[in-house]
Amino acid sequence: MSEGVTPSPKGTGWGFQVNSHNLLGGLVLAVVALAMLAFGFYLPNTVVPRLMAGVVTLIGIGVAIGWVPVHGPRDFYGGMALVLLSILALTASAELPGQRGFAFGPGTAPRLFSIALAAMGAAVALGGVFVEGPPIEKYKIRGPALVILSILSFAVMIRGFNVTIFGIPLYMPALGLIPSTFFAFIISIFGSTEMRWVESLIAAAAMTAFCVLLFVYLLNLPFQLWPRFY
Amino acid sequence: MSELLANLWMGFHVAANPFNVLFCLLGALVGTLVGVLPGIGTVATIAMLLPITFGLPPVGALIMLAGIYYGAQYGGSTTSVLVNIPGEATSVVTCLDGHQMARQGRAGPALSIAAIGSFFAGCVATVLVAALGTPLTSIALLFGPAEYFSLMALGLIFAVVLAKGSVLKAVAMVLTGLLLSMVGSDLETGAGRMTFDIAELADGIGFTNIAMGVFGFAEIIRNLELPAESRDIVSAKITGLMPNRKDLIDSAGAIARGTILGSILGILPGGGAVIASFAAYTFEKRIAKDPSRFGRGAIEGVAAPESANNAAAQTSFIPLLTLGIPPNAVMALMVGAMTIHGIVPGPQVMTKQPELFWGMIASMWIGNLMLVVINLPLVGVWVTLLRVPYRLLYPSIIVFCCIGVYSINNSPTDVVIAALFGVIGFWLIKHDFEGAPMLLGFVLGPLMEENLRRAMLIARGDATVFFTRPISAVLLTTAIVLLIIAGLPKIRRRRDEVFVE
Repeated sequence: MSEGVTPSPKGTGWGFQVNSHNLLGGLVLAVVALAMLAFGFYLPNTVVPRLMAGVVTLIGIGVAIGWVPVHGPRDFYGGMALVLLSILALTASAELPGQRGFAFGPGTAPRLFSIALAAMGAAVALGGVFVEGPPIEKYKIRGPALVILSILSFAVMIRGFNVTIFGIPLYMPALGLIPSTFFAFIISIFGSTEMRWVESLIAAAAMTAFCVLLFVYLLNLPFQLWPRFY
Repeated sequence: MSELLANLWMGFHVAANPFNVLFCLLGALVGTLVGVLPGIGTVATIAMLLPITFGLPPVGALIMLAGIYYGAQYGGSTTSVLVNIPGEATSVVTCLDGHQMARQGRAGPALSIAAIGSFFAGCVATVLVAALGTPLTSIALLFGPAEYFSLMALGLIFAVVLAKGSVLKAVAMVLTGLLLSMVGSDLETGAGRMTFDIAELADGIGFTNIAMGVFGFAEIIRNLELPAESRDIVSAKITGLMPNRKDLIDSAGAIARGTILGSILGILPGGGAVIASFAAYTFEKRIAKDPSRFGRGAIEGVAAPESANNAAAQTSFIPLLTLGIPPNAVMALMVGAMTIHGIVPGPQVMTKQPELFWGMIASMWIGNLMLVVINLPLVGVWVTLLRVPYRLLYPSIIVFCCIGVYSINNSPTDVVIAALFGVIGFWLIKHDFEGAPMLLGFVLGPLMEENLRRAMLIARGDATVFFTRPISAVLLTTAIVLLIIAGLPKIRRRRDEVFVE
């Protein structure tokens, strides 16, 4: 990345140096690793991932209380996330049979690549401990959250749902392509800070018309256009 | 030679079928349309438009996708020249001189030289693809599972070394992609792997979901975070499209050199077209009599990189069509598209489906011709398109992607998975991880695992087989040497410099 390396805001020495940023990061790391550790105890054959999750938990606590200095947080947390991913993969593939005779079982390759990924992730994270690196960029919440919300709402609206959560039946009919597209457009446009109503409504209608024309009439895909109640 | 001509003739016969010409035209047009929009890269463009090709017959779909690819590339350079924002990574260097030319009122010649250079490069690369197809395919047919595995490993390492950013992180991304590809039913035993008992995951994670999430949604989310850029659109009426005689003479050499450089670099896995355009620009600047002209509207500075990136874009089909190995993220998308049409990319495509193979090659030439013919008159339309503000553009892209993802399997779950990968892709950007190696790993994953398992079975569980079979040993050794070289501090610094430049 081109935006020069700014020194990380925290101290460089060993010892108790509680820093709010690392406190939070370390705690998140520890909690996720603990959750994976707990998950590992539900499944047989998970000694290796359990051990790894335990180590990551300790590292997370170490970071939170300032024992592990983090100089390159981008690399450190990035690498640790990959280690966590490999722990998850190891846990999930623990029950798969491994090598039998000369033949690989279904579980061999996932375990092989998980271990390799854990090694790479650890190496990246180690780099983050020792090498000075740029801080993690701040996340802006509004734009990304609304975009994701609009995508999810499209998924919900296009098919509707009929689920029971804690005994409460929830039902929504499938809204069909036209309302789904229109509302998803409107929701996502709120992600921008310069949104204007009239222009947005016109654009949403135009885009909906375009999509219907393209997908339904030109490409002949089977879409339900309007809500159907039954 | 006569065989080559006969094959090409058959290819043109397929490609000249009115429907295929129409698909090619549509692809080139739509590709340019999306490629012109700044902030949406080639990979995102193709990922976005993949679903609309699924309803077509395989040959038509692939021809259209190839058209979309060139169109997106070409559209990127239009944006570079007119707005000084690269539409694609491959046209970053085109900004330097192209936009200066536009400011001097020479946008027309800049665009037409870009088109002419691209067309010339496309012609040369088409012949190259056709000529190299047969010999490479016959080599590939000698390969056993061990060789295939080693070749794929080499391809992935190449992609890692030539990509920008940390090698370590890129390797980690490749491994992540490989792991993700293993979610779902096991190829041999049918056992569900890492599915967490979620029924929708039994078929594995859809390739389009990942591509759309990491390259489409994540890029949009990322752009929303950045402060709104002021766009400096060249508003003066573009007059005089055609370059004058001096322009043509000046750029002829640059086009030829760019084509050669691009053709070579395109075959190598990795950033292919991106590296080619940078290399061509640097080369031109170095051999120029008066290097200070560069950056102030030198026509060679447009001609060379544009020819190079188009040549590279096309020769990067060579490893895909002959060996079945995608050298970069765009080709990985092509593999995904082919698989959805039931075509397994690799040497057998040429022998079993010669119409598809040669038809696609011939359509490359037709596609390039169309770009020249349709794009220059349409410059005005592209300029209008560039005036659409981003705040209206991104919701359109999002709903378009949503419908596209949904339409593949009529599955809302796919849309949710794509959204999830959008978040993951956003996180990856924040932590300086690249999405492209992950996609490559994901696409190559099943093939790699299958060949690994087969090789081990044939060798009776002896892992040294990869080093005792000569071809495999050479491939793997090359991969390891490459990785070590890329890791050396001195080389790493030089590599970083190249990418910064």
